[in-house]
Amino acid sequence: MGTGSLGRTWPAKNKWQIPGGYENGENINSQSLPIPNQKNGGQRTVHVLHNSEQPASVFAILEYGNKVVPLIADRLFDLVILKMTNVCTDKKQTKIECKGPRFELVDFCIKLGSVTMTQNFKGVLVEIEYRPSVVPANCWELIREFVQGFLGSAVSSQIPQYLQNRMNEIYQPMDTIHQYLEHFGQYRKSTGVI
Amino acid sequence: MAAPIGTAMDSLSAALKSKIIPNQEYFLQGSILDSAVEVLLHRLRGLCDNVDTGPETFHDHEMCFSIRRGPPPELPLFLRVRRALDYPDMPWQLRYIGQPELGDKSQPTVVRSSLDIATSNTVVEFLTELGCRLDFEYIIRGYMFRKGRMKVTVSKIFKMNQGKLPDGMEPMSQSYLVELSVLAPSGQNAIAEDIRIFAEQLKPLVQLEKINYIR
Repeated sequence: MGTGSLGRTWPAKNKWQIPGGYENGENINSQSLPIPNQKNGGQRTVHVLHNSEQPASVFAILEYGNKVVPLIADRLFDLVILKMTNVCTDKKQTKIECKGPRFELVDFCIKLGSVTMTQNFKGVLVEIEYRPSVVPANCWELIREFVQGFLGSAVSSQIPQYLQNRMNEIYQPMDTIHQYLEHFGQYRKSTGVI
Repeated sequence: MAAPIGTAMDSLSAALKSKIIPNQEYFLQGSILDSAVEVLLHRLRGLCDNVDTGPETFHDHEMCFSIRRGPPPELPLFLRVRRALDYPDMPWQLRYIGQPELGDKSQPTVVRSSLDIATSNTVVEFLTELGCRLDFEYIIRGYMFRKGRMKVTVSKIFKMNQGKLPDGMEPMSQSYLVELSVLAPSGQNAIAEDIRIFAEQLKPLVQLEKINYIR
């Protein structure tokens, strides 16, 4: 495969460097905890996510109407969430996991995650990261070309909705989480495999 | 094929089982009048580890939240958020505090479950939207010493002045709060004895005792 925009080609043998194969596997898991209506009404949901890329952190996203409050915390935050079991109604069926191999190809990091919702296979999510850049606007074209290089034109050329208003901001781990959550939401709504 | 990847909750429950998570706080509290605090600070400088660098100062803002988990008699969940006013870029601290257990006479310190968690600065908004109620807040400023695993703080509590931060702070009292504490994994009761021995060495300057909060 040639990474044309870099003006370099790589010998076929070195196509993928697979450090540790599955051991370096990606693992994003999400748990959604709806909170029953309170005095002032409105449904709140807390999504708790873990990303094996940031093993020491917990990402929590609170959704309340149109309002979204993100929170990044140490791993022990999970224990606080456990203490809140009476506040949040923990629905076992809302656990979603995305798990699979992680590859590195020079500056790119590729993760192929199969999505399961309580053991039911729902689909595959492909994550591509261009590691030297932290501003999406600077590397979107490069990433798009790279993905279309191996997944073909089936890949949309549209910038993902979440990133559209954030193209010139510094990309942070929370942005990855938001994008996964968006996809998880779609899987949750659908009944079959997408 | 390598071992399957465990879920995040698996590794956490394994950590809990092997007792490596510091979730118990052993502590004693006392107070000292402003006029005598210098003497205590000198004494602590001599007794504690960080002799050469001197005591660390801190200047924090603490907010105490509670959230109902059910109708009474179910006790609410108490959460505290602390941020360093002198280091605004540092992570904010979220703290869960359980009910203090006084134990019997043979138990030298008060024990309460406690979880210290570093978080992003969105934590206050997160808790508020979650339905937590802000019970009270204050500014706390003082010194921190270390003695092995023990933490000794000598601090003064100030009332929050609406909109006037941090100038014109009004102290709560004419004394300093002295706290001796260790955060340890559960089952390490030996540390409580160390705290008691250290507290003995501070007498009669300050009387560190098990304080009954329920009274």
